[in-house]
Amino acid sequence: MRVNEIEGLSLPKKYDEEFRKIDFSKLFSYDFKNVKTYEFDIMGLKIITDEASYENVLFDITRSIDNKQVILTINSNIPEPICLVHKINEDETFYTNSLKVEVKKGAKASLIEVFTNTSTNSAYSVNRTFHIEEDTDFEYAKVQHIVEDNSFIYNGNFIQEDNSKCKFTSFELGNAFVVNNYINIIDNKNVDYNLNALVKLHKDANTSNLVKTVHNNESSKSDINFKHSLKDEARAVFKAKSIVNKEALYSKAFQNSNTILLSNDASIYAQPHLEILIDELEASHGATTGTLDKEQLLYLQSRGVSKDKAYDMLLKAFESQIYDNISDKLIKEFIADYRRSKYV
Amino acid sequence: MGAFFKEKTMLEIKDLKVSINEKEILKGLNLDIKPGEVHALMGINGAGKSTLVKTLSAHYDCEVIGGSITYKKKDLLEMDVAQRANEGIFMSFQNPVEVPGVNNSYFLKTAVNEKRVYQGKEEVDAMQFLKHIKEQTAKHGIDRKLLQRDLNDGFSGGEKKRNELIQLLLLNPDLIMLDEIDSGLDVDAIKTVANVINAMLDGKKSILMITHYDRLLELIKPDFVHILSEGKIVKTGDYNLALELDEKGFEGIGIKDESK
Repeated sequence: MRVNEIEGLSLPKKYDEEFRKIDFSKLFSYDFKNVKTYEFDIMGLKIITDEASYENVLFDITRSIDNKQVILTINSNIPEPICLVHKINEDETFYTNSLKVEVKKGAKASLIEVFTNTSTNSAYSVNRTFHIEEDTDFEYAKVQHIVEDNSFIYNGNFIQEDNSKCKFTSFELGNAFVVNNYINIIDNKNVDYNLNALVKLHKDANTSNLVKTVHNNESSKSDINFKHSLKDEARAVFKAKSIVNKEALYSKAFQNSNTILLSNDASIYAQPHLEILIDELEASHGATTGTLDKEQLLYLQSRGVSKDKAYDMLLKAFESQIYDNISDKLIKEFIADYRRSKYV
Repeated sequence: MGAFFKEKTMLEIKDLKVSINEKEILKGLNLDIKPGEVHALMGINGAGKSTLVKTLSAHYDCEVIGGSITYKKKDLLEMDVAQRANEGIFMSFQNPVEVPGVNNSYFLKTAVNEKRVYQGKEEVDAMQFLKHIKEQTAKHGIDRKLLQRDLNDGFSGGEKKRNELIQLLLLNPDLIMLDEIDSGLDVDAIKTVANVINAMLDGKKSILMITHYDRLLELIKPDFVHILSEGKIVKTGDYNLALELDEKGFEGIGIKDESK
């Protein structure tokens, strides 16, 4: 099976502004020996046919292979995070998985997903829809740790109703070809959307994050915050586009990307972008790229800390800003205890 | 025994020439510091005082273009920043750097253990470290709250200097270099600094301090006062030289400010 041979599937074109800087050609032309739907280990979940319309074509890859979508409904407060672990272990296989998480009115809930692999030359295309109803508080964390000659596409679609809060934190590790695609069209009021990611890559990893946020109603907030820590020949792309339309008075729209390049061959393409059609709002966007601060490095060393250890301390301090932003104590503990070896 | 110890030189600087951004700042500086001695370095702005202490702690800005520095019979210029610290050199920064994300207590414990490992001693665990730090700070009435915060992050000027004192107490160095530690401090805070420094002086530790301020010299009496001008030590005396300088100014004691 080749993705570019799937009938009726329109794929990103090389010159589409949205997908520029991402080279899908190797993934889309690769001949996978098998195609498989990754099944959850949970009984009794409702399954529907995914007929939703999405903002971009990447969602169609999963659905053109398998259009079934599993529904996970959270009706009331849950004290502990739900944890879903995905282990991709068959070689030469294109996996798909589609899940809709419904957080019902007034609920407080959290969810963790871990994506790992032991496969070679496989791909995993994942669709997620988060329907977060009124007055809810939802926190989500994912760890994606895909390594060596594998590909991973994660499409996240957010639907937030009035007064809903969604905090999403992603830990992007490993050295695979990865594309994360996050869409939030905010049609309701007082929505709080916080998207954070630590992109920590090494070797020839290639990770892209495409973030599109549209404010269509009053008094909502979107806060997008990415930290990249790139070693070896790792390459990252960060493209964030936030649109604040005329109806979206008193919105807050923030985008930020900070990058530490730890080798001469690591690279980042960062493009935060705001399109604002009103004056009554707060907005900011920024991107920084550099190495570790030499003044700080010197200060730590001047107290006897070796250069390597000082380097690690500063890097950890940079990276931990994403971890520190997690609100749910149990998610924090989970992330602190995370070891890839536990999940492969 | 004391006399024998005194005869040894801790730090020997010979004909030191240092440039920063290709501009020669130190132009053949000579200085000997023996164990237990307190040296004060004074001079007009731009004379090279900070450059000297920065060179001694291997600051990346300073390029040594000539001369030698021997510390405890070892070639100091062969050592990197951390090695110098672990050999017992401590420089109190004029403006301690803020390091958000690095917990102050964790950093200090790491630094203490790095030095212990360097000396071939066993590392201290968290409990031992806490006990030690409680003892040291209580002895000098220093607030420990700073330790719970990130290293110098959001500290006021006074808090930063207090934090330098905590590091100084815990790392227990042999050569203490104070680069204007009194700047921006009120009278009480200067007294705390002086109390800590005086309490540390055990006849073996040496001090090299830069100050523009006579008040600190009243509290930490120097054995030697050096006047630095144009990258060289041009005059050396005892505490009376500082008093004379305070009274007459640099021009009054024959030091010209070439920048004027």
